[in-house]
Amino acid sequence: MNNKRKWIFRGCTLLAILLIAVLMFIVGRGHTVYIDNKTLEYNGESYGALQKSEVWVGGERLSKLGKRDRTMTTVIGNSFEMKLINTVNKGDEPTETTVKISLPYGWDGILVNIPGYLANLPQEAWMTEFIIEPTAEEATDEEETTEDDIPMGDF
Amino acid sequence: MSTKQQNAGKTALNFLRNNTVPLMFIIICAVCIPISGFSPSYLLNEIITRLGRNAFLILSLLIPIMAGMGLNFGMTLGAMAGEMALIFVSDWQIWGIPGVVLAMIVSIPFSVILGLICGKILNMAKGREMITSYIISFFINGIYQLIVLYLMGSVIPIAHGSIKLPRGYGIRNTVSLLNMRQCIDNLLAIRIGGVKIPALTLLIIALMCLLIVWFRRTKLGQDMRAVGQDMQVARDAGINVERTRIISIVISTVLAGFGMILYLQNIGNLSTYSAHSQVGMFCIAALLVGGASVDRASIGNVFLGVTLFHLMFIVAPQAGAKITGDSMIGEYFRVFVSYGVITLALIMYEMKKRRQKASIGEQLALAQKEEEQHE
Repeated sequence: MNNKRKWIFRGCTLLAILLIAVLMFIVGRGHTVYIDNKTLEYNGESYGALQKSEVWVGGERLSKLGKRDRTMTTVIGNSFEMKLINTVNKGDEPTETTVKISLPYGWDGILVNIPGYLANLPQEAWMTEFIIEPTAEEATDEEETTEDDIPMGDF
Repeated sequence: MSTKQQNAGKTALNFLRNNTVPLMFIIICAVCIPISGFSPSYLLNEIITRLGRNAFLILSLLIPIMAGMGLNFGMTLGAMAGEMALIFVSDWQIWGIPGVVLAMIVSIPFSVILGLICGKILNMAKGREMITSYIISFFINGIYQLIVLYLMGSVIPIAHGSIKLPRGYGIRNTVSLLNMRQCIDNLLAIRIGGVKIPALTLLIIALMCLLIVWFRRTKLGQDMRAVGQDMQVARDAGINVERTRIISIVISTVLAGFGMILYLQNIGNLSTYSAHSQVGMFCIAALLVGGASVDRASIGNVFLGVTLFHLMFIVAPQAGAKITGDSMIGEYFRVFVSYGVITLALIMYEMKKRRQKASIGEQLALAQKEEEQHE
C-alpha cells in the first residue's frame, strides 16, 4: 500500500511537471511583431497609408509612424494588443483604435499592416509571416572556439 | 601560564587554523578595496548581482559534501545540461520567465542521466571522488561538444538560423538569451540608493537554502550524513550506501543545471562551448574561500564565499592596474588565487586528517603505556 502510494505520488509529480512544461511552452512563445503603415495592394485594390499613426503598446508609446514607416515590438504569448491613434489625412482629427490580434504559434516574425487592418480586410491580407534574411556576418562561417577558458569578468 | 589562558590560546589557534582561507581573503580585500578606488555603492551593487548570479550554483555543491563525496567537480555536467536546455528553449522561441522555467524542466532529464552516470562511476572510485569527477567533467564535455557541434541541426532538429552555424549543423559560438536576459532579476527588483536588489532571485536562493535545511532533517538527508561520516557503519545500519551516494550526485547535478540557467539568464548570452568549462572550478573556489572544507560546508560558507571571492574578483584587476600599471596582472592574480585557494584547502584538509590520525595514534600509544604500567 505504502509502495503504491509512493508511485502514485511520483506519477502525479511527473504529470504536474509535464503540465507546467506544456503551459510554459504555450504562454512563453515569443514573437516579434512588425507594424507598418504602408499602402497595401489586395485583390486589385489599393489601401493607402495613413498620414500618421501613433502606436501604443502596454501603455507606452512605441512609435509615431508616418507614411511607409515601420516599427517593431516583441510579444510573449499568443495575443497582442495595441492602441493606434490614427490621422488618416493631413488636418483630420486623430481617431483611436484598439487592435487585438491572436498571433499564430508557428510564426516568429509577424507583419501587421495598419491600413489593411483598418479597412476590415481578411486576416491573411494584413497579417503575414515576416522572415528575416541572415545578415552577411551571420551567413559567413565562424570558427568554433572550444578552448577551456572563459572570460573571468563574466563570472 | 594558567589553564584558562592555554585554552584561550588553543581556541584562537584552532580558529585561525579553521579559517585561514577566509581570513586571507579578508586581508586581500581590505588591501585591494582602497587601492581600486571603487565606491561602496558600486561594490555593493556588484556583490549583490554576483550573489544572485552564483549562489544557487554554489549551493548545489553542499549535498555531495554532506554525503562525504567531497567537492563535486561533476557539477559541470549539470551546467552542460542547463546549457543544452537553454539552446532548445531558444530555438523554440520561448522567452522570459516561461523560457527560464521550461529550460529548468527540460534540463532535468539531462541532469538526471548525467548525474546517474557520474554517481555510478564515483561509486567505483570511492575515496578519489574529486579527481574522478574532475576527469568525468572533461569526458562529458567531449560528448557535449560532439552533440552541440555535429548532432544539433543534423540529427537533433534546430530550426533557427540565428542559433545554427551557417553550414547547416552545429550551434554558433554564442547563443543570444536577450529575450530572457535578467527576466527573473528584474521582476520584483528593488532599488535602494542606486543599488539594485534582485528580490525574486534572492527569494529563490533563500527557498533553496530552506530546502537544504529541510532536506538535512529528512530520512534521506540523515542517511547521507551517516554515509558521509562512515560508509561501513552506515552500511551496517542498513543504509544502501551506493544508492544514497548516487542520489546525492543526481540532486547536485540537477541543482547545478538550475543554477547554470539562473546564471546565464543574468548574463544574457550563452558561450556554447566554454561557459560551463570553468564553472565548477570557480564555484568550488568560492565555497572554499567561504571557509568550507572537503568534508564540511554550510550555507553560511556559500554566502561568505561568494562575497569575499567576488569582491576580490571585482577589485583585483583595478588594484593590479593601479599598483603595476597593467590590469592583466590583476586578471592573472584572480586566476592564480582561484586555483591557489583550492590547492591550499586540499593541503590543509590533508594536514588536518594527518594531524587527527597522529593524535589518535598518540592517544592509543598513551593508553597502551598506561596499561603496561598497570600490569
